[in-house]
Amino acid sequence: MIHFFIFLPMLASLLLLLVPVRWREEFAGFAAAATLGLGVWMWAVGGVPTISIAWLPAVGVTYSVGMDGVSLLMGIVTALMSFIAIIYTARRIPNPGTMLSLILAMETGLLGLYAARDLVLFYVFFEDALIPSLLMLAMFGKTHRMAALVKFGAYTLLGSMLMLVAIIGVKYLGGSPTFALSDLLAHPVKGAAQTWLYLGFLAAMAVKLPLFPLHAWLPDFHEQNHDSGVADVMGTLYKVGAYGLFRFGMTLFPDASLELRPVLMSLAAFTAVYAAWIAFRQTDWKRLLAYAGLSHMGLVGLGIFSMEPTAVTGAIYLLAFQNVYTGALFLAAGMLQERVGSLSTRVGGVMTGAPILAGVTMSLWFASIAVPGLAGFVGEFSILLGAYQVSPWLAFIAGLSTIAAAIYALSAYQTTYWQARPVGAVKLYDLQHTEWLVLGVPLAVCIAFGVWSAPALHLIQPSVSVLQLALTGGGS
Amino acid sequence: MPLVLPDVALAPMIPVLLTLLGAVLATVLGFFLPRRSVTYVSLATLVLSAASMVWLWNQGLTAFGGSLNADNAAIAIGLVLLIGSALALIVSLDGAARARLSFPEFDAMLMFAVTGTLIIAFSGDLVTMLIGLEVMSLSGYVMATLQDSRESEEAGLKYFLLGATGSAILIFGIAFVYGATGSFNYAAIAAASSGLSVGNAPVLVAGALLLLCGFGFKVALAPFHQWTPDVYGGAPTVVSLFLSTVVKVAAFAGMLRVFSGALHNAPSWLDVLAVLTAATLIVGNLAALFQTNFKRLLAYSAVAQTGFLALTLLGRPEVGGPALTYYLLIYTITTAAALGIVAALQRTEAGFEISDMRGLYYRHPAYAVALGVCLASLAGLPPFAGFYAKYLAFQAAFQNGYTWVAVIAALMSVAAFVYYLRVAALMFMPDRTPAREYDGAHFGTRFTVALGMVGITALGILPNLAYGWVAYPGIWTQLAGT
Repeated sequence: MIHFFIFLPMLASLLLLLVPVRWREEFAGFAAAATLGLGVWMWAVGGVPTISIAWLPAVGVTYSVGMDGVSLLMGIVTALMSFIAIIYTARRIPNPGTMLSLILAMETGLLGLYAARDLVLFYVFFEDALIPSLLMLAMFGKTHRMAALVKFGAYTLLGSMLMLVAIIGVKYLGGSPTFALSDLLAHPVKGAAQTWLYLGFLAAMAVKLPLFPLHAWLPDFHEQNHDSGVADVMGTLYKVGAYGLFRFGMTLFPDASLELRPVLMSLAAFTAVYAAWIAFRQTDWKRLLAYAGLSHMGLVGLGIFSMEPTAVTGAIYLLAFQNVYTGALFLAAGMLQERVGSLSTRVGGVMTGAPILAGVTMSLWFASIAVPGLAGFVGEFSILLGAYQVSPWLAFIAGLSTIAAAIYALSAYQTTYWQARPVGAVKLYDLQHTEWLVLGVPLAVCIAFGVWSAPALHLIQPSVSVLQLALTGGGS
Repeated sequence: MPLVLPDVALAPMIPVLLTLLGAVLATVLGFFLPRRSVTYVSLATLVLSAASMVWLWNQGLTAFGGSLNADNAAIAIGLVLLIGSALALIVSLDGAARARLSFPEFDAMLMFAVTGTLIIAFSGDLVTMLIGLEVMSLSGYVMATLQDSRESEEAGLKYFLLGATGSAILIFGIAFVYGATGSFNYAAIAAASSGLSVGNAPVLVAGALLLLCGFGFKVALAPFHQWTPDVYGGAPTVVSLFLSTVVKVAAFAGMLRVFSGALHNAPSWLDVLAVLTAATLIVGNLAALFQTNFKRLLAYSAVAQTGFLALTLLGRPEVGGPALTYYLLIYTITTAAALGIVAALQRTEAGFEISDMRGLYYRHPAYAVALGVCLASLAGLPPFAGFYAKYLAFQAAFQNGYTWVAVIAALMSVAAFVYYLRVAALMFMPDRTPAREYDGAHFGTRFTVALGMVGITALGILPNLAYGWVAYPGIWTQLAGT
């Protein structure tokens, strides 16, 4: 069943080319819904244990996939947001066939990546998610997409190629028979080699996280993507760096993680504050959202790198739900663009024309700036609480970013949605048809998991405690 | 004195003899039949040769006292050679007439070249190898010049002059190796080189390094690569396809035999090769970044791919051998498909400019997707076969202690990715200007491209289909025929 969960979107993506044009939207929607359903079903039955099949036996590559707590949470969020993105694409983009196909193809890459329990397999899915996102940017991007494309591709591949060398090193130097995570954990690499390999691995994850100074691709990537924000939703789902660090980085390189902890936590805290600072100056909603996302990822990084159970739990929580509300906010920015014709934060008076859009957007922003009662708060609070126990000063500095978030978000919101409507501006229409669903469902999720975080925490905590056990075992 | 009859065994020679038969038939039948029929006959002999190789698998036969080895390594690489040759012939069915190459001599030359390549792959001593190499090279020079155009003449002359220099250096190296070890035979060289006297060791090292330079010319290792862009870019596209796949595969087969087999005990060549490999990776990839003509870009990319291929030779034979074979197979089908598409779409034999590819997806969706897949595979992106090829090459170099070369290769992959990506992205960008391509595609090109797509995807998702056959270390520890 887990294979079906992973490959159903890819299958649908290929079949979409054969489906008559008028049924393509329904077909894609159905496939995405079915994938989401499978995810929820796996949640209901409590996850799927790891299945392992030899893939390239002569070299020790296995096809090992499993869906435990954290993977399942990330997988379900991915399936949910892909579904939402497909619904919005169907309405917003003319002739959406290609875009739908790319979204589905990318969903498989992402789901596979969360399920992979073999380093080479992880790498394969990691790169697989890259191709559709590059195509989305190439086919639907704006004028200066070529530069953004090359920047994004080069940064990502620079990281992943170094990771590939590190992957080879982990198996060879540790003497493990296969690349399966369980085998690699049984044959750890010790000493200085571990640090070098961790740095290679980190190169890939820090680009994807993204961590200062490897973040420069992110704003251009979002700015040059299609106005609808659909491609950006997939872009936010892309933040797999933290997951990779959680699943592979810290378990395989425990000593190196401890050794580099102060540096990495500082970089993460700096990323959070630095990105929030730049977000102030943005006048384009997508760039603003890109920097806001970057700032949040700094917090996630702080949590992960601190290796403190509460903070790690918070980081995963934030990672999962940041996808939901930031994704929805990108779509809301697309709706704004559709109505007023620009993504500027200086439009003014949208509230009077489209009150419901304005209200929902504000609620989503509240989730983003960690207002208690919404999902963002649980994650950010846990991260800061945990990180404080490791390094009070860094937690304090990173904490400044949450204050900054409130300021940049609300000031941009104010100039766009409140203020006076310019004289002679076009008449706006409010949410209609599926748009209710597109913004309503993510908001409902944010509220539900902001108020009642236990179901998600139950998914995260077992994995974190297993990790913690491995760390204390490996670190001593 | 009793007469000693030579050890002539027919069975291990059958694959080579069949392609030679094809060459002779192409020469003779050319007087009576139109070229298309001659090509079908040539293709048939290639198929028969492949069948005989499959039959010879695991038999380990030899002829001429070990001068010709039909061992599994030879057969594995021989099959790759035949696949590449067949694809070149199939593409030539469509493009040759337009390229003014449609006469039977083209087939004859190609088949003679294939015969030479097979002799290299099957060689058991340096002289056999050299004969194969010269047969292949001489045919190659003629093929590059066969078209009646200035570019083609220039390419051919350049290829001839530099190729001859390479051969001369190679022969010099062979002489040195003979001087040091007293034998041409790979197995005897391998045996002798493990216990050399102090006086002979420097001679062997000099011989090995001269051989390395000679082969460097043939496979286009930097700094011996300068002819490649001019020849691949200037020769007719079908010929470029043949030269950049089959001839290169054969030259690598020779390197594998000589270095991983005969000379694997000889000192110091490995470190020199590591430096050359790193230089090739850097030069090839950075130069490709600045190309504006797609065919020239592919030529530089061929140099860059040489660097990745040479990585496998840095590994121990039992890891490097299968990696090299897998890489050569993937490289052959990918390059053949990519150049097949160029041959079908180009307006002139110079290929087309990269900027002309803008919006190709909206004019020729299937070709654009196929070319995108080829480029992704060349860049080493999963799930396409190029990923595993590159991965295995990295692994071979890494496990033999050449981590620094693997890291350089990883960094240069990023440069490679940038130039492949630029082309791929342009193809998918919307564009409303009228078509600039010539759609000269017929069944042959489509067949080659389709075969390439199936191969690239299937071997990417299930690499064991090909790798599983050659993964046994035993095949590769006996490269010298011992």
